[in-house]
Amino acid sequence: MQILIVEDESKLAFALQQGLEEEGYAAAVVLSGEDAISWLERTTPDLVLLDVMLSKRNGLSVLREFRRDGFHAPVLLLTALDSVEDRVLGLDAGADDYLVKPFAFPELLARVRALLRRTATTPQSALDLANLHMNLTGRTVTRGGVTLELTSREFDLLEYLMLNRGRVVSREMLTRDVWKETMRYTSLDNVIDVQVARLRRKIDDPFEPKLLHTVRGIGFVLRED
Amino acid sequence: MPSLFRSGNLRLRLTLWYGSAFSILLLLHIGVATYVHYRQLTNQTYHGEIQDLETTEGLVYQTSDGRIAMNEDYFNNPQVRMRLDRHLEILAPDGRILFQDTRLQGASIDGPPLPREGMDSYNERAIRLSDGRKVLVISHFHFLNGRPMILRVAYDEAPLIANVARFLGVLLLLAPVTIVLAMWVVFTVASRALSPLSSMVRRAEKITAERLSERLPVHDASDDLGHAARVFNGLLQRLEDSFSQLKRFTSDASHELRTPLASLRSIGEVSLQNTHSSEEYRDVIASMLEEVRRLTHLVDSLLVIARADSGQIALQLSTFRCMDLIQEVIGVVGILAEDKHQVIRTTGSVEVAVRADRGILRQAILNLVDNAIKYSPSGSEILIDVKKESEEIAEVSITDQGPGIPEDEQTRIFDRFYRVDQGRSRERGGTGLGLSIAKWAVEVHSGTIGVRQSGQGGSCFYVRLPLNS
Repeated sequence: MQILIVEDESKLAFALQQGLEEEGYAAAVVLSGEDAISWLERTTPDLVLLDVMLSKRNGLSVLREFRRDGFHAPVLLLTALDSVEDRVLGLDAGADDYLVKPFAFPELLARVRALLRRTATTPQSALDLANLHMNLTGRTVTRGGVTLELTSREFDLLEYLMLNRGRVVSREMLTRDVWKETMRYTSLDNVIDVQVARLRRKIDDPFEPKLLHTVRGIGFVLRED
Repeated sequence: MPSLFRSGNLRLRLTLWYGSAFSILLLLHIGVATYVHYRQLTNQTYHGEIQDLETTEGLVYQTSDGRIAMNEDYFNNPQVRMRLDRHLEILAPDGRILFQDTRLQGASIDGPPLPREGMDSYNERAIRLSDGRKVLVISHFHFLNGRPMILRVAYDEAPLIANVARFLGVLLLLAPVTIVLAMWVVFTVASRALSPLSSMVRRAEKITAERLSERLPVHDASDDLGHAARVFNGLLQRLEDSFSQLKRFTSDASHELRTPLASLRSIGEVSLQNTHSSEEYRDVIASMLEEVRRLTHLVDSLLVIARADSGQIALQLSTFRCMDLIQEVIGVVGILAEDKHQVIRTTGSVEVAVRADRGILRQAILNLVDNAIKYSPSGSEILIDVKKESEEIAEVSITDQGPGIPEDEQTRIFDRFYRVDQGRSRERGGTGLGLSIAKWAVEVHSGTIGVRQSGQGGSCFYVRLPLNS
């Protein structure tokens, strides 16, 4: 999978490149809109990460030119502007998704994966990790055959972690996707920490191996290790 | 001229306007005075004619051959004040001229007698003669020795007109002098009345963003200019307040940003002083990322405030029950209370509904409930009450059993970055902006927010919202 990163802040661009390559993607960096257009004449990537506020030329005008030239691959906008109008403007210009800086890297990965996923994910009826079993239709959870009593929120949280098992999820992702909080300035960090601690008490404390891990400074991950 | 009327010089403009109005009134006045004078002279003339006619009636006699003649001797008497340039004619009722004494250069009054001319009283009329002169005529019906006749006396109007013209001429000649004099007086008076304005203008020119403490001089607080100066000073005071608030906010924001930056820098620098194990580096990076999170929250909150200040946030209004919103908030942060073994109890009306932007109002309630949980001791109770304060106002109150807020700080806690206990609040992850965002969220809905001491020593935060907004 080839990803083109168009970002004039070189530190961020190369950090993203390294992060994406470590995840197994082929990532290329160009530092200006002009370079991006000439790069696209030679190669067709599977996804473009595009900064909106490029120093010389606005990312949105670059995006319109992409689309006019018949470039169909998904484009994920990276921007420091987060008002509703800015989002609408970006999506109107032909972007597929929108990520506000500063973003958590796990969140960027999640968006990239979602955009690259060719086929729609079929809704699953059950999720498994080690001896943890989640029945999504009946909304029941068992571990090693023992039924666990989870609250509705705990179930949603576990489901989200299970769907992303093996990958780190950030607090921002949980705030938005599990708590459905749309306002970016709403800080639910304390709530999330307490909720995760409770979930851990139920699904991990009486069992081995431990599955729910805190990745300090980033978020949480559900994995067997 | 029209451009002068619109010129920037207020004194000149006032003077010109006054001058024009005064001139028009003066001309009107002259016109009326002249007309009245003319009428008066005309009446005097008729009156003189009647006396003349009465005298004439006494002087007329019939000669032996039946002609009508007049005793002219009377007129030769130098003491007689009678006007000599007058026309006299005597007509028979059938219009035949019986006698004519014309001193109007031969022109005759002409015309047959009018029906019943002069029979009841003296008949007055003005006639234009064939040579164009205008005369004032008085006629009277008279019997001389039983013989009916009509006597007519006519005076030339020209001397009268000349008199009126002289009168008008004098008035018109004086008018410009009067107008100039009046305008000069107005200009002087206006200059004196407006002199405080000039000093206000001079002072106002010195006022800049850096020197907002300057105030305009108030010469006489009771007059219009004094009132204007006071209003303007009030405006300056408000501007100065908001400028200093802005300055304080900018410097406070810089300080708040410095704290996580200082941590970031120290953590990084210290970890690079010596070589560490990769596990230790992981720890350092994680710690730095935690500070980055704090910075991000702070910047996000600052952005919300900046956007609110510039009025950029459009409200998405919907109608919902306050209690539903409260239950939703408890659903989110209730777990924090459970963690501290606190009980959140809701009381009051379930029906009270408001029309507001649910997301923004939710933020306010969320911040208030979150604070109540944060600052209340473990095992205490938090009471959330919804009621109709009056027919127009809904009130949501959140009462905690925390330490309470000293009275002198009860208004300041809604200020940006204001903290009752600096260190402790930051320790708990506060940005110092939660309550000021809540205040904005409530006020943008034309509501009020405040805090009072609750009965048990804790604090009671209340949000009042209009019911029909």
